Amino acid sequence: MTITFFVHQWKAFWRSKNTGKSIALRVLMAVFLLYLLANLLFLSFFLDKILAGTFPDRDVITSFNSVLLYYFLFDLVIRYQMQELPTMSVQPYLHLPIKRNKIVNYLSVISLFSAFTISPFILSLPFLIKVLLPQQGAVALIAILISILGLNTFNHFFILWLKRKENLNAWFMLLFLIAMAGIGLYDFYWQGQSLSHYSSLLYCAILLSPWYAAGHLLLGITMYFINYQYLRGNLYLEELYTNSSSKISSTEFPLVNRFGKVGDLAALELKLIFRNKRPKSTVMKGLLFIFYGLIFYTNPQVASNPMGLVFCPLFMMGAFIITYGQFMFGWQSSHFDGILINKIDSNDFFKAKFLLFSLFSTASFLLTIPYVYFGWKILLMHFIMYLWNLGISTLIVLFFANNNYKRIDLSKKGSFNWEGVGASQWLLGIPFFLVPFMIYFPFKWMGYENAGISALAIIGLIGILTRNFWLALLVKKFNKKRYQIAEGFRNE
Amino acid sequence: MLKIKDLKKVYGTTTVVNIPELTIEKGDSIGLIGNNGAGKTTLFRMILDLIRPEKGEVLSNDMNVADFEKWKDYTASYLDEGFLIDYLTPEEYFHFIGGLHDQNKAQVDETLSGLSEFFNGEILNKGKYIRDLSKGNQCKVGVASCLLQNPQLLMLDEPFANIDPTTQIRLKGILKELNREKQVTLIVSSHDLNHVTEVCQRILLMEKGKIIKDMQTDSNTLKELEEYFSVL
Repeated sequence: MTITFFVHQWKAFWRSKNTGKSIALRVLMAVFLLYLLANLLFLSFFLDKILAGTFPDRDVITSFNSVLLYYFLFDLVIRYQMQELPTMSVQPYLHLPIKRNKIVNYLSVISLFSAFTISPFILSLPFLIKVLLPQQGAVALIAILISILGLNTFNHFFILWLKRKENLNAWFMLLFLIAMAGIGLYDFYWQGQSLSHYSSLLYCAILLSPWYAAGHLLLGITMYFINYQYLRGNLYLEELYTNSSSKISSTEFPLVNRFGKVGDLAALELKLIFRNKRPKSTVMKGLLFIFYGLIFYTNPQVASNPMGLVFCPLFMMGAFIITYGQFMFGWQSSHFDGILINKIDSNDFFKAKFLLFSLFSTASFLLTIPYVYFGWKILLMHFIMYLWNLGISTLIVLFFANNNYKRIDLSKKGSFNWEGVGASQWLLGIPFFLVPFMIYFPFKWMGYENAGISALAIIGLIGILTRNFWLALLVKKFNKKRYQIAEGFRNE
Repeated sequence: MLKIKDLKKVYGTTTVVNIPELTIEKGDSIGLIGNNGAGKTTLFRMILDLIRPEKGEVLSNDMNVADFEKWKDYTASYLDEGFLIDYLTPEEYFHFIGGLHDQNKAQVDETLSGLSEFFNGEILNKGKYIRDLSKGNQCKVGVASCLLQNPQLLMLDEPFANIDPTTQIRLKGILKELNREKQVTLIVSSHDLNHVTEVCQRILLMEKGKIIKDMQTDSNTLKELEEYFSVL
């Protein structure tokens, strides 16, 4: 039965409307994954050198032991961010004569097929074989591997369990975050007794008496069964996919209300963002980019080179435009037919997008004003790139939106969700990032940096002033493409 | 009201809609019937300019629907949940639709209060998003949003399929009244022959993309249709 489930899942993946269409995308994904894997392997082969460099006064194995627990703590935090609950929709199977245990087992096993499961082994195995095996022998190696397996399994099922609990009760999330922050602070302030101390104690003990590792394995197995029992007891549709049952009241956005019909459309899209999982997390991630400045501006050398001057403000001011805009109009795919048949003017439809972009870019601009602490020039560059984004980036993004036919399911999670990704998103990045540099660099090479900056400002301003002209072109193209867009968005 | 000329839609090698000529007068009430795959929904979508025909055109008040958007002022339709904005509450959705027709909230609320019997206490002030409503209740929202627009042309694709018997009876009453009192042109599809013959005065029967029967409803129509479908 597990195999049948697996086959069904496999088919569901390859036959879904969004996968398997473009070979280029698949190749790109494969290359990206291989690249990540290569990075891990590289790291792992030189782990002994890295450790020797970081802790020159200790021997390599002791340092390795002392960081292991950090790894698992870090793993826990990352998993909490990224790991997803297994997504097989169990609905079609629940009423059939299939034992609950089988369904639950399948859900548990399939969840293990993820990068998180293998990465600690990729990361440690070459090091262990290279350094630990010659010094301590095979038994020690196996003990360490068993311990890694145990703790990794524990983390895996703990996060699954936590996320399911958290769906029903948000206090679990708070408790977890407090616990993590607590461990972090404790570690930071009491360095003598920090986690690295416990980590080395623990793993040195395992090296001396390998059967201690069995304890970790037991921990992992116990967590598996806790998660198993919980899932088995709660395999009811309403409990697996909880909709918060609290009463919802209407929301108003007074800021956009004054813009008439355009404002209504923008308010509609704001609701779309705040009431659906994926756009919400996309926008939240976009807003995180306003901390980019802390990376670039704190180093005076970086702050004055093109990366700091042009790229960083471009990205901070345009974060929403690029992260959210790249999937347009896919966000509205579930009701795109409704938009077409209702009395919505295509001009208003596009103007609402401009309004939305302006709103978020203005927010980014206001929120990043404190960076003026690093110099007035930074504020000036922020303003110039703000103009640029409103004038030019918006046009680029909307041009590509007219060529995007990929449907998006709003209720799915944000991270590592490839639904709705197509060639259009990859291509979009090229003009978005390159054009500003193409304008700025020639001036810079000739020694007129300020002229380059002025050129960006002027072109951005021209873009804003001539917006209606471009708008008419976009609408014309949209009216030609709308059948194709609507067909791609329809779910049949 | 509506004129269809030489309309054709092909997917791959199969012709899904092929209508050489069809005229719908103002005040007509049309029942569109036919088995699955006959091309009813595709026809609806072409009338609403949602898909582009291979050939031919749909004229609404003598204007091609693909070139002018005037028809949106007087046409209301509900084909499926894809027409609803599912992350809104029903009230928000109604206000949005009303706003598109320059109605303010008070006007919308007044129209809605007249529909309270149709809603049967299931739609308003429930504090739920449309996506959390049942299919039948979503259909009610879709139909109500059509009524809100005071249309001259109303198109519904299988409106009776998911709603409860009480609502079916009320909806039939509403449709008949709209057609009789306000001369609203109706196009309604259904698999239930009783419903269409009761509401509509003219029946269009589709098979494999073609309209093979076009008749006025009389006392024999139901029997005739039942015979057609049972030998098929």
